[in-house]
Amino acid sequence: MKAHSIKHWIISQSLNHPKRTIIFSLIITALMASGLRFFYIEEDMMKLLPAEMDSRKTWETIKDEFGNTEMIYIAFGNKDKSVFNDKLITDLWDLTEALEAIPEIEEVNNLINMNKLQSEDGYLEVANLVQSRDLNTDQISEIKAYLDKYPKLKLRVVSQNNDYVNIIIKSYNDVPSDAVARIIDTAVEELNDYEVFIGGVPYVNGVISTLIRDDVIGLVRIGMLVMILILFFSLRSFPAVLMVLSVIFLSVIAMMGSMGWVLEITGSRRFVFSLINTSMPIILLTIANSDGVHIITKFFKKLRQSGDTQLAVEQTMESLTLPIFLTSITTSAAFLSMIYSPLEVQTGYGVTIAIGILWALVLSYTLLPSLLVLKKWNLDSKAVRETSFLENVIDRFGKGVLENPKRVLSSGLILVFIGLIGINWLSVEVNMQSFFKEGTLIRETMKFLDREMIGTLDMQFRFEGDMKEPETLAKIEKLQNKMEENQKVTTSMSITDAIKQMHRTVMDDDPDYETIPDTRGKVNNLFTLYAMSGDPDDFSSLVDYEYSSGLMTTFMRNMTSSLIIEYVESTHDFIADSLEATDKITVTGMLVVFRDLITLIIRSSAISISISIVLIALIAGFFFKRILWGLLAVVPLTSAVILNFGFMGIFGVDLNHITAILSSIIIGVGVDFAIHYISQYRRLVKQKVSVDVLSREVVDDVGYPIILDALSNMAFGALLFSQFLPIQHMGGLMVFGMISTSVGTLTILATTAELLKHKLIKL
Amino acid sequence: MKKFIFGIISISFVLGQTGYEIAKMVDEKPTPKDLSNKTKMVLTNSKGKSRTNAMVSKSTDGNKKQIIWFIEPKDDKGVAFLKIEHDDKDDEMRMWLPAFKKVRRISSKKKGDSFMGSDLSYEDLSSRELDENKYNRLDDEHVDEVDCYVLEIIPKPEAKSTYTKHISWIAKDGLYGVKEESFDKRGELKKKKSFTFQKLKNYYVIKKVFVEDVQKKHSTEVTFSDVQVDTGIDENLFQEKNLKRLPHN
Repeated sequence: MKAHSIKHWIISQSLNHPKRTIIFSLIITALMASGLRFFYIEEDMMKLLPAEMDSRKTWETIKDEFGNTEMIYIAFGNKDKSVFNDKLITDLWDLTEALEAIPEIEEVNNLINMNKLQSEDGYLEVANLVQSRDLNTDQISEIKAYLDKYPKLKLRVVSQNNDYVNIIIKSYNDVPSDAVARIIDTAVEELNDYEVFIGGVPYVNGVISTLIRDDVIGLVRIGMLVMILILFFSLRSFPAVLMVLSVIFLSVIAMMGSMGWVLEITGSRRFVFSLINTSMPIILLTIANSDGVHIITKFFKKLRQSGDTQLAVEQTMESLTLPIFLTSITTSAAFLSMIYSPLEVQTGYGVTIAIGILWALVLSYTLLPSLLVLKKWNLDSKAVRETSFLENVIDRFGKGVLENPKRVLSSGLILVFIGLIGINWLSVEVNMQSFFKEGTLIRETMKFLDREMIGTLDMQFRFEGDMKEPETLAKIEKLQNKMEENQKVTTSMSITDAIKQMHRTVMDDDPDYETIPDTRGKVNNLFTLYAMSGDPDDFSSLVDYEYSSGLMTTFMRNMTSSLIIEYVESTHDFIADSLEATDKITVTGMLVVFRDLITLIIRSSAISISISIVLIALIAGFFFKRILWGLLAVVPLTSAVILNFGFMGIFGVDLNHITAILSSIIIGVGVDFAIHYISQYRRLVKQKVSVDVLSREVVDDVGYPIILDALSNMAFGALLFSQFLPIQHMGGLMVFGMISTSVGTLTILATTAELLKHKLIKL
Repeated sequence: MKKFIFGIISISFVLGQTGYEIAKMVDEKPTPKDLSNKTKMVLTNSKGKSRTNAMVSKSTDGNKKQIIWFIEPKDDKGVAFLKIEHDDKDDEMRMWLPAFKKVRRISSKKKGDSFMGSDLSYEDLSSRELDENKYNRLDDEHVDEVDCYVLEIIPKPEAKSTYTKHISWIAKDGLYGVKEESFDKRGELKKKKSFTFQKLKNYYVIKKVFVEDVQKKHSTEVTFSDVQVDTGIDENLFQEKNLKRLPHN
């Protein structure tokens, strides 16, 4: 069957069997949407990294050997009031018991259950630092004196000014976010009289990603409402708006359901829904909206001319089948290019959106024309009879552009040039802290943990070797000392700290012996001694069961991404140069994950942008039978991408794993505008329209749907009101992207086509 | 160590007893005057990794005095441990650290702390005071064809136990413990213990203990060999100076 026969068959289904076509499309949509039950939400940022990446492999090994290393921190107290008072100790005791009763919690560490290792008159004692719930003043003073003796230990549980206590909660691996929420609720319920700060990766992952999703859902609802209003005021027909919305809604649920199906069938973790994927529904909304808007506006135009619904639908579909097919194929290709992204979840993202786009195409071919055929249109209604205000504005705009093509083109090129310069200032920032606005609770908490406690970032070092051998221990100590030289580092911990403390205690609490013993035998004796008097499990998060590997963790305050890269690189250099043991020391932790994420984001953006532009040029060149058309199709969107990144650089909007997706929206939507323009241009050339009015007529024909499409999508500027910075940026960039791609098509593409018209009319 | 466990579970056989009466028989049952053995302890964690310790132990006075010399692993050879229990004050525990050439006194006030990283806590190893627990007799059961009494043992507050309940299976014929389950403060099953006994002179003497911490998925198997009872161990053996040298017999 030839291409035009397929086209006629598809069109005839809607014209001759509209009800059957509607029922079939609804049934298949429902089948696709039923995959929603397999839908899985992933909150762990670490799982964004490719499984074979070193930092992720080390992280998995550490988790396996030493248990969960991602802690939840709860700090409470009152500013400038010492925590060393009986009421706070009693409250901390009660809270510790309440938290320990939560089954998902493996360990609660704070001042209450901290071990005291002390030597007195040749007597070694391992006991609880706090012996009972109710203490007198002398007992509290003793606790304070012990902590003052070990400042490094103290920093983990008490703030620098003694006014807040810190609780470190270790949950079992992969605890769901509702358990994290229960932990937080328990804490907040018990602590009415205090200022409470909560932090830590599981908290940020579990609680904040939920907040972000809720925020996005709320704002998208507002965006949808604004979009509906814009569509209504432009199309002036309630049923027409409903028809566009039905295509949007059905393609979105089919897309989300198919993500569940693919996950269920393939079992691939690339198809989980993560923070990155929150933008997926918005993207499909914009793309599905585009198809609907073009069909409806063209239909009204044809209906106005012929007065016959069947004929208008047939003519509309005749002229739009190819451009809609091409826009969908090229946009899908742009998103499918994400399968080359090193960020695994972007593969799932790209494939799922492509499925959604193709389903929107099917619905635009079947459901939408069937609905148009079934509806009895009132030919006297304003929607059919009169052109809208927006159409008239576009008409005047088109005249202006095409009367001065060189001036318009050079202005556009100047803007693109400014964008190119701006790209140099573009910075990548993936640090969670930068996601939240100044003054928000979470950002203030993070700042508090940075200022008063051990900080919000960490770096973990896994050492392979004999953990009883002084030489190995000396290397750990050397690295610890080096790390602690940096002002951003608050503290570090490893088995050497425990060994040094035990050594001092065994040697009658002589501070001169707070060192690593000089023989393996002595180190071993210390471990055996501890095993007889304390719980050897106390070291399970520092050394493995066979003492053949150890974990050193460095805690630090927030850093910018550029500092992170510099710090991680210099640490690697130090390990290679000074410890000469790069094969025995592997590094991970939030800091390294951030560094790797930065590299991946830059790589994935560059890969997906270049592949998608080349693919689109090739596809458009193939279908329009000339590579020049292919090149022209990518002109406006390349300009828009440059402008997007350039203006992000100029206005200080950071690139991160959420805003990086924006380039795909720009390409995906931008290419639609260009293809509609080119299709109409070629159609009019075929119809032998005079070269003098060619561009003018193309703008007349596609200018309005392009601007209406862009305008209605701009409703997602509502995201500008999000409480989360990346989502805000996304809203702003979306507005900017819609303006740059639509105006880019009607200026740069239109003027270039006008200037090259004598070449282009040779089909 | 062996004596501790022996004391808990060896009982005399009396039909129609209440839970308390059965426990009383256990408590009053004669025990060896002294005991010596070689102990092998294998610890296995949730990932299947194991650590093995071997030691020589001598005890007297119902295990109130005990001296242990470590012989395995090689790293620990030479380390020795002396314990003397007191009724009216904290127990004395001393340890010889050969690498430091020092004896250090140690203390663990936490009953729930594990002994040598095993799944046996100091509380598991100590004799239960008869009147510090409540005893309920449950329906008798067979365990591996051994006819058993089943006792529910609930520690009273004065016991300061880390457990809320134990269920013990006690063989009717021979009156030794066959198995026990212990429940933590939340009432959840914490440990499962099983015991194997051998008859030596007129005593049932423990041969093997297997303990599994079901929450930590960690287990400990303790095997006793070269067991000797009532050999007339000299009380002077339980002195600090004897920690420094491993006995020849």
